[in-house]
Amino acid sequence: MSPVSRREFIYGSGVLLAATCVPEWASAFQPSPEREARRTEVADAALKAAAGLGATYADIRINRYRRESISTREQQVQNVSRSMSYGFGLRVLVNGAWGFAASNVVEPAAARAAAEQAVAIAKANAMLATRKVTLAEADPVVATWTSAFKKDPFEVPLEDKIAFLLKLNKTALVPGVSFVTSQILFADEQKYFASSEGSRITQRLIRTYPQFQTTATDRASGDFQSRPVVDRAKLLGYEYVEEYPWLADAEKAGHEVVEKLKSRPVAPGRYDIVVDPSQLFLAIHESVGHSTELDRALGYEANMAGTSFIKPADAGRLRFGSNIVNLVGDRTQPGGLATTGYDDEGVKSEAWHIVRDGMFVDWQTTRELAPLVGQKRSHGCLHSDSWASVPFPRMPNVSLQPAQQDITLDNLFADIKRGLFIEGRGVSSIDQQRYNFQFGGAIIREIRDGKLGAMVKDAAYQSRTPDFWASCDGVGGPATYRLWGTAADGKGEPGQTNQVSHGCPPARFRNITVLNTAAI
Amino acid sequence: MLTRDEALKICEAVLEHAKAAGADDASVSLNNSVESHARFADNRVTTSGRSEDVDITATVWVDRRRGAATVNDTGAVALEQLAADAVAIARLSPVQREYVPTIGPLQYAEDRGYAAATATTDVTARARALQAVLEVCRAQKVTGAGFHTTRASAAATATANGNRRYFRSTRADFSVTARTADGTGSGYYSGDHFDLSRLDAQQIATQAVNKAVRSRQPLPIEPGNYPVILEPQAVSDVIGFLTAAFDARTAEEGRSAFSAKDGKTRLGETMFSERLNLYSDPMHAELPASPATDEGIPAARLSLVRNGVIENFRYNRFWAQERKRDATPGPVNYILESTQPPVSMDEMIKGMKRGLLISRFWYVRLVDPRTLVLTGLTRDGLWWVENGQIRNPVRNLRFNQSVLAMLTPWNVEAVGASQRLAPYMVPPLKLASFTFTSISDAI
Repeated sequence: MSPVSRREFIYGSGVLLAATCVPEWASAFQPSPEREARRTEVADAALKAAAGLGATYADIRINRYRRESISTREQQVQNVSRSMSYGFGLRVLVNGAWGFAASNVVEPAAARAAAEQAVAIAKANAMLATRKVTLAEADPVVATWTSAFKKDPFEVPLEDKIAFLLKLNKTALVPGVSFVTSQILFADEQKYFASSEGSRITQRLIRTYPQFQTTATDRASGDFQSRPVVDRAKLLGYEYVEEYPWLADAEKAGHEVVEKLKSRPVAPGRYDIVVDPSQLFLAIHESVGHSTELDRALGYEANMAGTSFIKPADAGRLRFGSNIVNLVGDRTQPGGLATTGYDDEGVKSEAWHIVRDGMFVDWQTTRELAPLVGQKRSHGCLHSDSWASVPFPRMPNVSLQPAQQDITLDNLFADIKRGLFIEGRGVSSIDQQRYNFQFGGAIIREIRDGKLGAMVKDAAYQSRTPDFWASCDGVGGPATYRLWGTAADGKGEPGQTNQVSHGCPPARFRNITVLNTAAI
Repeated sequence: MLTRDEALKICEAVLEHAKAAGADDASVSLNNSVESHARFADNRVTTSGRSEDVDITATVWVDRRRGAATVNDTGAVALEQLAADAVAIARLSPVQREYVPTIGPLQYAEDRGYAAATATTDVTARARALQAVLEVCRAQKVTGAGFHTTRASAAATATANGNRRYFRSTRADFSVTARTADGTGSGYYSGDHFDLSRLDAQQIATQAVNKAVRSRQPLPIEPGNYPVILEPQAVSDVIGFLTAAFDARTAEEGRSAFSAKDGKTRLGETMFSERLNLYSDPMHAELPASPATDEGIPAARLSLVRNGVIENFRYNRFWAQERKRDATPGPVNYILESTQPPVSMDEMIKGMKRGLLISRFWYVRLVDPRTLVLTGLTRDGLWWVENGQIRNPVRNLRFNQSVLAMLTPWNVEAVGASQRLAPYMVPPLKLASFTFTSISDAI
């Protein structure tokens, strides 16, 4: 929590006007015994009504969110907006089938009405069920958890945030850069969970999402190139804006896009590639994160995101990659976007191996999924992106472990005769069973005889997940490890958005197909 | 659902508070929605629920400084605080260089995309419909997965300059994926309409099941360039990348696929087959759209491509003012259709010497904004066609293909009748060449 109280902040800063004009903006997010009592009353009313109508299990999420978004281009502010949302979502299990109802009216009467709606849905759906839902054991929990942050972004003056973005833009606008856009989003989630098993959990999560993009245009030829820096969101407070070297990144992105516009196209073919964490995080997300979701392997996502090349019985049997590949699911990782104290059915967060020494060993699970592969406990992967959304299995932070030795980027380049070094987020696409993928990068440079060379453009690498990870013969040491993430991981119907991070060192992959996407 | 009077009363209350707090200009919009869905897989319903919400957004200007705030609480205290918050943000913000005064009173057509019966979901009737769908799947020994959803929305706006508008809409969507027990066949089919009674769930399921059964045991082919027939679903999976490029500002700023050399644009050029028209029409009988654009301009038919020639770009109010012209009355939907009598899918197949029939695309992403090269994969039904007949299913393929090149005059060989796949009406297309770059093991 912020070391400065709200009162001190208001009187000690230049935002007295804002703070006094917008009491609800701040006050609804301050501790209030009355509001908490009211919330408990609503939860109890919903759970009691659900039980009375025949639910064998019920849980409710009563969540309050606020978000602040600022977007700019060059030296102009395009938009400043704030939003707040408050509501509840009630989930019930009746006759072994789920029902759910949600409302923005957080009142006992609305909660009882929602219980009736959710139970009616569950009963109607139960007649279709060929199998009843059973839940893995979970300990009832009464707890409070707050994500680690030093400075509450919602207590920082708006002027400071705008000044940060405009300075970043000015820094990125080096000669040759035509456009720069930047955004910053702050999110504050205050979540309350109560279940018919007795859990009562209050959590608060603060996230900070800065991102920007430089563009260089050649008006004579009609050519243009961009350099996005969009992978840096974290579960942190405003200290992330103040402590991370954003201006150095902005200047670098400016110079890079100018060089990219003038760079020559890649020669397609086979290359040894070294993938920087700023790109590899996305490769991990797509090829490992999604393929090891148990709901996909069971066919729950067949109509949308797809299934998986990994079958439910493959844990402990399937070789996923080379011996040096170790991947860990982790909802406790500091700064990770999917880090939380407890998941959306009250299971305490933990870390576990998904791939150990190259073997696929375990799934991402929830209380509903764990028993289906013979496990007694969930790994805590249930999540809903809003009080209004049905909670369902979502990805934890899935991270590639670094080598124990002190392996540097230069060490990884050392024996490459003809290779590419791929940095930053480019286009990603992968099939519905997570085999065939194509990933681009924001900045790609040649490696010649172990040394980094000229920048190239229009390159994308294409591979097949098991082949790709089998070809991994080098990972960086602990000092090269970085944690980057995506704030917009889509899944489910209706679509939900998850925030998730992936830590990794740079890694080397041999003999990978590289396309020239402009010459197709 | 809030009525017109209820919704506008809330907007006007916020407007009054904003003015009292010092706003020179303001626009208040409200969105009320009720959604109900059932998702099934593994021959049972996996998730199902209902949710309702009301969002109110106040956008205000004080001395041309802009602030915006949103809440989902319609209580009197919350509405007053919403206005105060937006005004406070505006006072702290720099002058908005792109400020355009809010729109004044205007007449709008009646909304046509609302069906009252779609707004209230009978969960028992829905379960019965899904049971019938699952029976279709079981009869063919396939596993069915799918999604049934209905949604009703009411959107109201009030501006300080006197604009008042309120529109309602409904939408029902149903999709099914059928997978064969041996894991080698998969089929998908979907439909949507503003009127639930116009969605035939069993017909959609039957199409998906047939595709699954017919796509079993696919054979590999070499990646490369092939003639193709794209079903409407496949066209809808890529067409959004083209429609998004019709923004005037990015084209004129030199960073769009429709930018040309020396600071010019491609307006007036024949970039596409003369067999194609692309336009927006809020009054379209099958695909009625909002009677107003997001900015409140009364929507009207807007031609983007006529006989293959780029006829218009989209101008928002700010960029139109910069260019001293009117903002465009759309687009509010996209209708891609044949300028000639449509060719049926059967005729397309009969006329194909050798090539591929494609059901849908998956994970399509923009690789190059200069050329609109896209990458993605085929999914849920791909067949080899030879001498006018469908021969065998084919293993899925990854493509890298420019959507501009795809629709050039020399590449479009036939255009079928357009079908609703909101927000598009799209036809099947027969194309001379389409570029595939690798094979996928995915089923």
